[in-house]
Amino acid sequence: MSSPPRLDFDHVPVTFAAYFVEQLRGWDRLFPAEQDYYARLGAYLEKAPAGLFARVSELEPRMGVTERTWPRGRFTLEQVDFLNRNPLYAEWRREIAAIFNEIGPALDGAVKGQRRLVIVMAPGELPVGPDRMWTRLPAGRRVRLAVPEESAQYAPLLLTGKGKPALAASLLDLCAGARGPHTAWTIETGTALLACSERATRLSYEQLQNYRTRLMGEVQKIAEEGEVRGPRQLGEKLKTLQPRDSEYAGDPLVAEFIRATLLAGNGTLLLNNTFVQWASVQALRRARPSCLVAGFGIRNKVKPFSGLLIFTDQEKATAIPTQADMLGSYVDLEVFYQYIWQEAGKYVEYRRETVFLFVAEGMDEMLVLGPPEFRLPEGELRLEAVHGACREWLSV
Amino acid sequence: MLTRDFLKLAGLTIAQRILPPGLLNIWAEAAEAQARGRKVILVTFGGGVRTAETFSPAGLRNIPRLAGLQKEGYFYQNCWNQGVLSHFNSTASIVTGNWQRVDDFGFQAPASATLFEQYRKARKAGPLDAWVIATNKSFAAMGASTERDYGLAHGANVVLPKQLLLDAVSDIVKKPNGGDVADREAVHRRLETILQEGYEGVGWTIFKGGRQMDQHVRNTLTRALGEFINGPEAPTSGDELTFFITREVMREFGPRLILVNFWDMDVAHWGSYSLYLQAVTKTDRLTGMLWDEVQANPKYKDQTTLLILPELGRDGDMDTANGFLNHRSGDASCRNTWLLALGAGVKKGATDKPIRHIDVAATAAAMLGLKAEGMTGVAAPEILV
Repeated sequence: MSSPPRLDFDHVPVTFAAYFVEQLRGWDRLFPAEQDYYARLGAYLEKAPAGLFARVSELEPRMGVTERTWPRGRFTLEQVDFLNRNPLYAEWRREIAAIFNEIGPALDGAVKGQRRLVIVMAPGELPVGPDRMWTRLPAGRRVRLAVPEESAQYAPLLLTGKGKPALAASLLDLCAGARGPHTAWTIETGTALLACSERATRLSYEQLQNYRTRLMGEVQKIAEEGEVRGPRQLGEKLKTLQPRDSEYAGDPLVAEFIRATLLAGNGTLLLNNTFVQWASVQALRRARPSCLVAGFGIRNKVKPFSGLLIFTDQEKATAIPTQADMLGSYVDLEVFYQYIWQEAGKYVEYRRETVFLFVAEGMDEMLVLGPPEFRLPEGELRLEAVHGACREWLSV
Repeated sequence: MLTRDFLKLAGLTIAQRILPPGLLNIWAEAAEAQARGRKVILVTFGGGVRTAETFSPAGLRNIPRLAGLQKEGYFYQNCWNQGVLSHFNSTASIVTGNWQRVDDFGFQAPASATLFEQYRKARKAGPLDAWVIATNKSFAAMGASTERDYGLAHGANVVLPKQLLLDAVSDIVKKPNGGDVADREAVHRRLETILQEGYEGVGWTIFKGGRQMDQHVRNTLTRALGEFINGPEAPTSGDELTFFITREVMREFGPRLILVNFWDMDVAHWGSYSLYLQAVTKTDRLTGMLWDEVQANPKYKDQTTLLILPELGRDGDMDTANGFLNHRSGDASCRNTWLLALGAGVKKGATDKPIRHIDVAATAAAMLGLKAEGMTGVAAPEILV
């Protein structure tokens, strides 16, 4: 792992510099794409035009930023709170956005283009046909598929070209092998994608059950013991709850990613699809993978009083049997497809040379969004053919 | 002539010269309203809801009751929250008429006088005449401010039904042999016990003889619990109990000023759009039931104005990290929502003229015949006709 660049932020307004200083402090917890970004940012700032920060510099004293309220280099929840409650927050936010609009193109220009692939898989149980799928996305290209009789074969055929996972031809493993660690990810509610790769970064909501259960217990305990005063203090406390080896046997960088994802909000801990969506968005934002496969599932119906028992095992809390919520899952996922696609569009890496495949297990149609250079054979396609086209696209 | 009389006369003269005639009419109307015994109920879609899921063409299907009532009232299609986008500060701004910047999680009371305090102090109204019934369990301090000359002695009674439920349900789950929260009897028994023993923790601010809850109030709330638990539908959430408690308080005490804070739609933070939509529809239904109660209750019919608004929106789909899940971006979807005024003294109509959250308290004050003190917000003339 590389060491953090020596960056001089002293001439940068503290409210702008603080976040980056904090990120550099946790250099070992950054993905290579993040490290690359901060290195480029630092290089840019050292030569930044003098006027870039003029308006924020003028704003800070009016906001009450002093050495006491905001010591240089410090960025804790106190500072976040200071900003959120400041009467000039909206103005500050506008100015920060303006700075990024200025910096963005310069930093983006230094990114080397690379073909990428994002596959978003919906569960086979959704109660709708292709005509009601992906309604919030651009029209794109609808492609007819010949799907296997057995739904369990769907993911392996698409990702490895074989009915049973054949790792030698796994898109994910080939990508990770060619482009390095953390360039291929699978994030899913269940476990179907785990078998389709062994070199990718693989996250499964189901597989993380032990860790999730322990986290919920710890949060419940913290709340009951009254040791923390509010959500901000709770957040600080939760930073210490890393997964144990028995709960996630992977690299420490991903372990911290999982902890942060599960504790970013209640939803990721409680709802399988929220976990997949938020983890996918975070992976795109932070690791910028070349190949990401997000596998959604069906979430359960919410039981009575669930909102009051957020950190309680729902199975034990009520005798009402657990039921799948097919229609609710469909509604949720239509929004999540949009949010994942939109998130990718924010980053230069995904804007020009990325193919998005929106598929659903067992569904005889898929939606393709991507540049015209991504070519598929005409007519109804077998999944093996789609796999082949993706492999060619990624050149792996 | 006494100096005071002189000033009063001089003030009136000056007012006639510099104030627009409409504003003078407002005060005249307000005084008349006071004589008529006008009542005001503020209803907040707490937790936050976007216009996209409510009063947009696609959103109307989620709010059938309000969509129907829109024609009966006056509708502001632009209602701005220009303050801090946290729940406590948003609602505190609505009830004080000033943008509040206190602790986001309710550990501090509002910094300027609430409408409840101003009303009770000015009218020498009793403690049963102003209520806050809030599903958000961090709203314990919403009834009174830290403003000098005001405070708890003039504040609203605050009831936090969700905290009551939370205590009951948690206790049942913790039973050694494993309790079932779907067991109505068990929940009811536990709720009543909490009401008898532990009301201080669930937000009650009504005390008799120092630490004992007024028996009349306790009986009223117990009755509301019964209605909630034994109602036709399986009770599932805090908002339903908020409704039943509000209705019972209206029937029993007929207060002139109430804030009802619904909250279930904050389930959006869980990241389920369908659950969020269900909660929006439930809030719409409960708000409709509240309106039905106003129409059916002789203490309220024809003398009550409902001011219904979201305490904030939620982030837009296009601009922000995670859209409807959050409400911190400050984009228009998050800050700009709507307000619907219904009932006594409200003409039918709609406008795209902006109104601010801090104008709500000033407007409500005028409806109650109060000259609000120290409010940055100003009364909205459109709904004071």
